[in-house]
Amino acid sequence: MTKTYDLAIVGGGIMGCSTALRLAEDGMKTIVLDQGDLGQGASGVNAGTLSLQIKRVKLMPYALKGHSEWEAMGEAVGFKKTGGFTLAFTEHEAELLYERQALKADAGAPITFVSNNALRAAEQNLSHKVLAASYCPEDGYANSSLTGQYYRIRLKENEVQFREKCNVKLITRNSSGFNLTTSCGTVHATRLLLAAGAWLKPIAADLGVDLPVRARVNTVSVTERMPPLISSIVGHATGLLTMKQKSNGAILIGGGWQGQGVPQDGRGNVTAKTLIPNLSLAQHVLPELSNARVTRSWVGFEANVPDFYPLAGALPGIENAFVLGCVRGGYTIGPYMGRLMGDYILGQEPELPLFDPGREFSEV
Amino acid sequence: MIKTCDVAIIGAGPAGANAGIMAASQGCHTIIIDEQAMPGGQIWRAKSEAIKSAPMTPEIIDGDKLRVSIAESNLTHIANAKVWQIERELDEWVLHFIINGRSEKIGAKVLILATGAREYVQPTPGWTLPGVIGLAGATALMKRDLLTPGKRTVVSGTGPLVFFVASEIRRLGGEVAAIVTPNSRADWLRALPSMSYRTDLLRRGFVWVADLLLAGIPIFWRHAIKQIDGETKVHSVKVSKVSSDWSPKGPARLIEADSVCTGHGLQAASDASQLLGIDVKYQLELGGWVPEVEEDGITKINGLFICGDGAGIRGAAAAEIQGKLAGLSAAKSIRPEVNSSNSTLLNSYRRASRFGMAMTRLSIPRKGFQKLITQETIVCRCESLRRCDIENEIETGAATTNAVKSGSRAGMGPCGGKYCQSTIAKIIADRENQSEEKIAPPTPRPPLRPVSASALSGEFEYTDLQIPKPAPL
Amino acid sequence: MIRLIPNSANQIKRAEEICFKFDDQLIKAHKGETILVALMKNGIHHLRDAPTDGKPRGAFCCMGLCQECVVAVGGKLVESCETIATDGLIVQSLRH
Ligand SMILES: Cc1cc2nc3c(=O)[nH]c(=O)nc-3n(C[C@H](O)[C@H](O)[C@H](O)COP(=O)(O)OP(=O)(O)OC[C@H]3O[C@@H](n4cnc5c(N)ncnc54)[C@H](O)[C@@H]3O)c2cc1C
Ligand SMILES: Cc1cc2nc3c(=O)[nH]c(=O)nc-3n(C[C@H](O)[C@H](O)[C@H](O)COP(=O)(O)OP(=O)(O)OC[C@H]3O[C@@H](n4cnc5c(N)ncnc54)[C@H](O)[C@@H]3O)c2cc1C
Ligand code: FES
Repeated sequence: MTKTYDLAIVGGGIMGCSTALRLAEDGMKTIVLDQGDLGQGASGVNAGTLSLQIKRVKLMPYALKGHSEWEAMGEAVGFKKTGGFTLAFTEHEAELLYERQALKADAGAPITFVSNNALRAAEQNLSHKVLAASYCPEDGYANSSLTGQYYRIRLKENEVQFREKCNVKLITRNSSGFNLTTSCGTVHATRLLLAAGAWLKPIAADLGVDLPVRARVNTVSVTERMPPLISSIVGHATGLLTMKQKSNGAILIGGGWQGQGVPQDGRGNVTAKTLIPNLSLAQHVLPELSNARVTRSWVGFEANVPDFYPLAGALPGIENAFVLGCVRGGYTIGPYMGRLMGDYILGQEPELPLFDPGREFSEV
Repeated sequence: MIKTCDVAIIGAGPAGANAGIMAASQGCHTIIIDEQAMPGGQIWRAKSEAIKSAPMTPEIIDGDKLRVSIAESNLTHIANAKVWQIERELDEWVLHFIINGRSEKIGAKVLILATGAREYVQPTPGWTLPGVIGLAGATALMKRDLLTPGKRTVVSGTGPLVFFVASEIRRLGGEVAAIVTPNSRADWLRALPSMSYRTDLLRRGFVWVADLLLAGIPIFWRHAIKQIDGETKVHSVKVSKVSSDWSPKGPARLIEADSVCTGHGLQAASDASQLLGIDVKYQLELGGWVPEVEEDGITKINGLFICGDGAGIRGAAAAEIQGKLAGLSAAKSIRPEVNSSNSTLLNSYRRASRFGMAMTRLSIPRKGFQKLITQETIVCRCESLRRCDIENEIETGAATTNAVKSGSRAGMGPCGGKYCQSTIAKIIADRENQSEEKIAPPTPRPPLRPVSASALSGEFEYTDLQIPKPAPL
Repeated sequence: MIRLIPNSANQIKRAEEICFKFDDQLIKAHKGETILVALMKNGIHHLRDAPTDGKPRGAFCCMGLCQECVVAVGGKLVESCETIATDGLIVQSLRH
């Protein structure tokens, strides 16, 4: 007799793993399956920025909750609450900054605008060409490289089964639930959660559901160890730069500049066309960075749907199947979304509303 | 507009240089890029400008011959240029390289990777002490700068390179304290048949060994360095016998020295190949993970060729011939009228390979060697991670090189994992009771070499940065 | 004693001498030599202290790959094994 799980989760990223942990609290027998290592997708290669200043207004309540989840995870994920500055260098950027950050502040983020003097007092090494700046004391970062290790340990502690290097190739339905054909055998489960990140579309298609999932190819770079240069996370009014100095001195540079490639081909590629302006912008913001050497650049796939809101809820038309993904700023919000998703699967009312995957999607 | 050519080659060693000369001779506009100041690669590395004159060596003679051929060909050689990134744009390869502190690029219809090898050095307690250098690294110092690694050196490692390094130290006036090699005399006797066709090299080898014996320098066959001691610099090493699988055994013997050269075989430098999407396969007899390439340099990717030690460790002679073959294949892909089938070349390539692979077989560490890595021995030099740190990470469930890298930072430092990734794979294989070929190397990432941020950006105006549209509010 | 490999050290002619500064020490080098070679000739092998354990480190691969030999020149880290020493150059170690 093969074992039947209460729930099979396809995808061991932050969405899948955090949902599994919530379900374990209520004793649900869950298995997490990942085609690679846990946290090898977006959740393990992202820039690790936990910033309210770059969250969407409508997602702010989720992001605020997300921040407290990270604080609780603490040292084990390299969490640091450093506060964060967002900078504008032109009139146009300053307008954008005022307009956007004001709305985010209204939505509950403790964001304020700060004078140049205050900025300089806090961060001596930033460019003196800053025109306007905002600040949020709640901002910080965590170390996304630790995602896999963290969840491997947590899942084990909570006796949640997981299988790595286990590619889910086909999902079919039967009277008692779902059959998952994987590279390491067949898995049976009464319920199913698709949390396959940028790889959601083909796996949902197995069940005849067309999810309009696309992927962005975000670039991140890291420098060698540098002397202390910045202590807060630093962003750009457009959102096209995030920067932080890790405790070992390395500076991590992100911002979502687009590399090349598609999730189906495995890994994407960095391209000099966007890497160079990304690094130039970083040097404009932090001139001392021109002394640094870049030791590594990489890309990861961040999934989205046309309206850039999450897919979080029941998989349309398929009983006992759920989907969670496409969350903008999903690293920040992920652990909380997983909790909400778990509540929903358990038949409990989530604390904040989910995002119906069956909605009409309009392009923004 | 960027400069474009028919054939671009990375690496001006025996493989790349011969590929270039061949492609150019077939009428292809060919550019060869190398980070060294002069063509020659590792084996024929040229002297630095600081050397006004010095006695000739076989390496210099052969290297000069190659350098003259390049000068006489239509080949363009770009020196002192580090390729940090390679991209495919439509039908063209674009190579980005740092030269004179700036990032420049060239385009090419076809690309030949001839990036050579790098050395595997067995981690051992104390191997991070100043004064300990790689065996291959020592050849670079001695060829370029005619500098001995120290005053009194223990030369340790596998294959022929130990004897070459020792003889070079003696030629340059240094003292060799001892030779320590896990190979046995019987290992060498067994390799003789495959070496018989290179009588020139055999003769050189005999002279190296005879000279050491005449000078009364101890050669510790079937031995390994167990520990290197010193405060801020090497002052002594402990060596002990090894068994047939190279497990250390028996009491240690102390040798005083101020420097150590140590190396345990070469591995294909396949980072660039992997970045471009070439699969690697594990072939121990070629030094470990090697890219999938045909004998004539052809790969599964149109317009991409690989040759020389970067395709597997077959040695310099094979690299030269495979370079020619790859040069022909590349030329044919541009000019279909080129006749690229050359059975004479192919046969001599196979013969030369047999010799090179015999040397590789002597050089690759056997299983017991891993026992030299104590729990406290540094494995990842950049991040100062010890064997126990790696094992702790495996203990949490990380079972792949990528997972160990993510969780422990091993291989995330500035060397990019070049000096730890195979050791880590061996440790994982050991812990997981798997064979090494099951433990794939971690995902390669650009840049191929650390690059200065200012070199990448160059001078720029903020207003010229094309910052994309911000994300939806 | 018979030597099959003669000592040819005294047949090597090097370029003119120049001088650069390594921390507080004046170092003589031959023009065209790398910083590393000049330092090694002067018996200096300890170039930096490693992160985390603070242990001494020096050149290892001698070919620009391992990054063990980095020193600071003009605020930038460079591989001493690949960087040519020039007259008057100011080089700083990464020793604590
Ligand atoms: C480069 C980059 C930088 C980012 N920076 C930030 C940031 O700074 N702050 C922030 O908050 N957010 C950031 N994000 C967004 C955030 O990382 C993602 O929203 C989040 O990690 C998504 O988590 P996920 O679990 O949905 O997807 P993933 O982490 O991608 O997980 C999906 C998993 O599913 C597995 N899988 C897929 N198909 C199958 C199959 N058929 N069988 C088995 N397994 C399968 C994959 O292997 C993968 O591990 C960034 C994203 C990227 C790519
Ligand atoms: C350090 C070292 C020393 C060696 N010494 C000897 C010896 O003394 N005798 C012997 O028989 N064998 C020696 N070998 C083995 C030797 O490598 C080969 O037999 C032979 O040199 C292989 O030729 P190749 O053309 O394939 O590669 P190589 O000769 O290694 O040439 C590769 C070239 O590519 C260049 N390159 C690589 N990547 C880049 C990049 N990203 N950008 C720019 N340039 C790049 C390198 O600078 C190098 O010049 C040595 C190997 C090493 C690693
Ligand atoms: S010694 Fe390895 S980079 Fe200089």
